[in-house]
Amino acid sequence: MLIGAMVASMAACGSNGGSSDSNAAKGDTSAAAEEGGASEGGNTLTVWTWDPAFNIPAIKEAGNIYKADHPDFELKVVETLSEDCETKLITAAESGDLSTLPDICLMQDNSYQKFVSIYPEAFVDLTDSGIDFSQFAAGKLSYSTVDGKNYGVPFDNGAVIGAYRTDILEEAGYTIDDLTDIDWNQFIEIAKVVKEKTGKYMLSGQADSPDMIMEMLQSAGASLFDEDGKPAMVGNDALKECISIYQKMVEEGVYYEVNNWDDYISSITGEQVCGTINGNWITATIMGMEDTSGKWAITNMPKLIETPNATNYSNNGGSSWYITSNCKNQDLAIDFLKSTFAGSVELYENILPTTGAIGAYLPAAQSDAYNQPQEFWSNQPIFAKIVDFSSKTPTNNTSPYYYDGRNAIGTQIQNIMQGADVDSAIADAQSEVEFTMGE
Amino acid sequence: MRGLPGSSPNIICEGGFEVEPKKKGMTLVAKQKAAGWTFLIPASAMIAIMSFFPMVKAFILSLQTGKGANMHFAGFSNYVRMFQDKVFLRSVGNTFIYLAIQVPIMLVLAILLAQLLNNRDLKLRGFFRTCVFLPCATSLVSYALIFRFLFAQDGFVNNVLVGLGILDQGYNFLGNAVSAKIVIIIALVWRWTGYNMVFYLAGLQNIEYSVYEAAKIDGANGWKTFWSITVPLLKPTIIMTFIMSINGTLQLFDESVNLTNGGPANATITMSHHIYNSVFLRSPNFGYGSTMSFFVFVLVAILAFINMKVGDTRD
Repeated sequence: MLIGAMVASMAACGSNGGSSDSNAAKGDTSAAAEEGGASEGGNTLTVWTWDPAFNIPAIKEAGNIYKADHPDFELKVVETLSEDCETKLITAAESGDLSTLPDICLMQDNSYQKFVSIYPEAFVDLTDSGIDFSQFAAGKLSYSTVDGKNYGVPFDNGAVIGAYRTDILEEAGYTIDDLTDIDWNQFIEIAKVVKEKTGKYMLSGQADSPDMIMEMLQSAGASLFDEDGKPAMVGNDALKECISIYQKMVEEGVYYEVNNWDDYISSITGEQVCGTINGNWITATIMGMEDTSGKWAITNMPKLIETPNATNYSNNGGSSWYITSNCKNQDLAIDFLKSTFAGSVELYENILPTTGAIGAYLPAAQSDAYNQPQEFWSNQPIFAKIVDFSSKTPTNNTSPYYYDGRNAIGTQIQNIMQGADVDSAIADAQSEVEFTMGE
Repeated sequence: MRGLPGSSPNIICEGGFEVEPKKKGMTLVAKQKAAGWTFLIPASAMIAIMSFFPMVKAFILSLQTGKGANMHFAGFSNYVRMFQDKVFLRSVGNTFIYLAIQVPIMLVLAILLAQLLNNRDLKLRGFFRTCVFLPCATSLVSYALIFRFLFAQDGFVNNVLVGLGILDQGYNFLGNAVSAKIVIIIALVWRWTGYNMVFYLAGLQNIEYSVYEAAKIDGANGWKTFWSITVPLLKPTIIMTFIMSINGTLQLFDESVNLTNGGPANATITMSHHIYNSVFLRSPNFGYGSTMSFFVFVLVAILAFINMKVGDTRD
């Protein structure tokens, strides 16, 4: 198993090294600035995106659907990690030379505010392009809307789900309904019983990742920032409640803190945990555990207790497609996105079974494919459920400094878990963000 | 010589010496100087354009501030700001800890290994030398990831320790500030010892065997020979490897990113990693990034200078 892990790590870092080195070997399908990475014009669209289990099959399927009506259309997909897409964008925009950029690129929703405000010259304003934005969930659209203008076509839905092993729950005497529409105190009680009876943690997560806290914050519509985009961490009672719940979970032994992403994934696949609470894109990883088919089910997340406006719904991640200003044939790109992600229910139906990719395109939710019971998930119609969750997700204040805020909190969580005082840790996080904001 | 066709008549001075008159065109000395400059100029020009010019531009950039392409001059405010950046100061501290602990251990190990492997009677010398040098040939990213796997909670090291009964359950090496730093130091020593050992081996080859024979005749044992003869004769090599190690350690990046990702709560983050984070992961302010980079440059220059002065055995 160790050798397998080492081989896998070699393969993983092989592709890591490949995609971050812009002068990668010829014929390497990872992003190469010279070899097919940039916009070509004509009837070809070049797209940068990541995740061969999720985004790439989706865009390729969109390409196939579009090609059926436009025979001389070609789609080129260059696999590029999300951080690399952003780094390459910064490099191109800073140097003033946008010619290395592709036609269409995927970007995490929370990065839009930052990048559009700093490098507006790299993005195409899609507001009056003919794409019908009213067909998308408003909460999702708000991420890629800057100063009232639309810059992104929403793609995947980041609604948070709680995914649990029904067999482990059963061993502890619970069903999935016992975890539905509850609050965190009830959740921790159930988790303690599960730990006692089965020896398994309820949840896991990276120690330096603030994901859990951010999900909890957004479930009550709260945020690290106020409406003006200024950091509002000190005196933020919602934040304090989230941190104290997190601390309690770790201390009671129901939340397993790991050090990095690989360990998090292996805690799920290695069955050290009963389940996980994360964006619904985690289903792709879970469905890789084929021999546990039929033993999983999803539900919503627990809600906060003291904070007002608490709900059982939140969001983590999700991304949208944007057209770069380097696109040589912008009409083609706009028409492509309009006909596929912003217009084709068939596309969303086709990508659903293979990728579990759930769109934010509201008409798609009415289709039959979304309402099919899924055998892997104890015959729940999970896709319809997830779209339902996303429609109930509260929006919250975002900011160009969103990631700075996130990272600062992620760092301070580790200090808090090592025994630092919560108030001074939060104050440190806020001063770190204010430092970054003040030039 | 006098009388040969084509030569100008030599001048005879008082005392009878013949002196060649200054020929028109270049003298031999001038020709040699010209040849020297011709060889130097292309390389110097390239260094000036590729290294010095960017350094100057980086300094100018560090005097500016702003997001993205909206830069405006701000004097030395970036430098003032840098000294208030808590995370940056932390990263300086971390980097100096690595410098102070890892470099001496590594160099001492390298010199000892070089001495051992210089022994003419040792069998399979070539094999051992290859083994020690091989780590340097690995990719920085690969080896950092492998070390990360090795020291994970359920990694190989923990499995061995638990199996031997030394620990009850896996120790979270990468989750504790001190142990995370130790893991990085171990990784660095593993990787770079071979590199420095090769330099010392080359230096040792230059010491004549007769020196050792003389020492043996005088009754010196192995240890005394090592300290009183080998090390002083290796001084130039030691200085060089020391400067190179300082340079490399101050600019440490790959291990911080791939092994610990800055470590639990910035406990292992290095200066270069923080610069990268500030510019590419957070909101990009290239002026500020330049400032921090310039600071690293000044540090390396000062330390290298001190090193050379201390080690200068001339005069």
